[in-house]
Amino acid sequence: MSREYIISIEELSKSFGNHEVLRKIDFSVERGEVICIVGSSGSGKSTLLRCINRLEHQTSGKVLYHGREVRDVQKEVNEYRSKVGMVFQSFNLFNNMSVLQNCMAGTRKVLHLSRQEAFARAIEHLKQVGMAPFINAYPSQLSGGQKQRVAIARALCMNPEVLLFDEPTSALDPEMVGDVLNVMKELALTGLTMIIVTHEMGFARDVSTRTIFMDKGYIAEDDTPARLFTNPKNPRTREFLSRFMAG
Amino acid sequence: MGSGILLSANPGSSLEWMIFLAQKYSGLFIEGTLNTLYVAVTGTIAGFLLGYLIGIIEDIKLNKEDHIFKKVFIWILKGISWIYVELFRGTPMIVQGMILYYGLLQADVKIASVTAGILVTVLNTGAYMSETVRAGIKSVEGGQREGALALGMSPMKAMFQVILPQAFKNIIPEMANMFLTNLKMTSVLNVIGVSELFMMAKTAGGTYYKYFESYLVIALIYLVLCFIFNRLFILLEKATAGKKDYVLAVEYMENQ
Repeated sequence: MSREYIISIEELSKSFGNHEVLRKIDFSVERGEVICIVGSSGSGKSTLLRCINRLEHQTSGKVLYHGREVRDVQKEVNEYRSKVGMVFQSFNLFNNMSVLQNCMAGTRKVLHLSRQEAFARAIEHLKQVGMAPFINAYPSQLSGGQKQRVAIARALCMNPEVLLFDEPTSALDPEMVGDVLNVMKELALTGLTMIIVTHEMGFARDVSTRTIFMDKGYIAEDDTPARLFTNPKNPRTREFLSRFMAG
Repeated sequence: MGSGILLSANPGSSLEWMIFLAQKYSGLFIEGTLNTLYVAVTGTIAGFLLGYLIGIIEDIKLNKEDHIFKKVFIWILKGISWIYVELFRGTPMIVQGMILYYGLLQADVKIASVTAGILVTVLNTGAYMSETVRAGIKSVEGGQREGALALGMSPMKAMFQVILPQAFKNIIPEMANMFLTNLKMTSVLNVIGVSELFMMAKTAGGTYYKYFESYLVIALIYLVLCFIFNRLFILLEKATAGKKDYVLAVEYMENQ
């Protein structure tokens, strides 16, 4: 009996010129999973996430959405992206729009919701991330942590099936990291399916339902955080974790 | 006509001649100013639109799996844009005016010289503007486009909702530049008989053989026009700059 996967990656490889960034990646995502992808810089984590979102194109292999291959035909990609949201390291809030407009852009222009509906959703999710009082502010007037929380609200407004996070706290001041991680922790508790590329080991250990360790373009280990963090099988994982835990 | 207190029957100095000419031929100078403005404003606005169109076409990216018809169509569009931009950036406007005007005459197409003048201005502005727009689009950080695409917007929606509004803001100074250049470049259109300021000055100066004074008059008019329009563009720049502060929506403050 096959399980219902939202996203499956099959033998995904990606090279930039001669440089192989991803090598035959295989894994699947079930509803409600919170997957953290960890690994050193340059191990291909972000490229993998960008391939899932079709911002990057694989050299070979497939990305499946509900068992169907996602082809690079613009209409299909648009539709797919409206269900698979993404939160970026650099926030990418629209500089020409206020916080409210940022959160209504997708629902209005892509989902074609009515103004009232779009507004209600924006307020709901901005409240969820604690940014509702800032609806009139523009991105340039916000701190990094605030921007990221708005970016998360913006993605949530689309009611995504899966939300991808590409190092969401890497560009933040240390004191703001906690705010964003708390928001994400709460999201995980609501049952939202999430794939998170992160360097926050504590977060991965405590929040993820599954942790993937990537090394040199391979998935070196894919296990529950309890096993991966306390008893890693792969020597590379062990080495990486010991370096990380030592600080 | 004769009501001016400064209008002397026997002007002596250059200043007196300038005042004399300006008053005697005020009708010509006003008509010339209006024509210059008409050609420059309509030509520039239409040229800007053309430039945006070409700039956007140049920015279109194709997907590997796009339909072959779409690919061919876009390639042709890009090819035409490329040739057009090269042609019009590579030849002087005065020559373009001559070729267009006399070419059309030879083809038995009746075209008013003002219309031909506007057409040349549009085509010339469009070619330069397309490069400015392209630079403007490039000046918008790549994450903005990715953010829009990640929401499921099509590349065109991303362009119109997110990228162009920001690019527009960035290229206002360059647009001002181009408009002022056009305002002055209309002077070359006298060669195809557009009765703009330069031609009027030639006419006005010819009667008394006072060209120096006559051209000084229109130099002053150009200067004033440029000054005014430059201020307008600065106002536009300020209007699009956005506010420094914002109002907290207290109704959504939580009890903290």
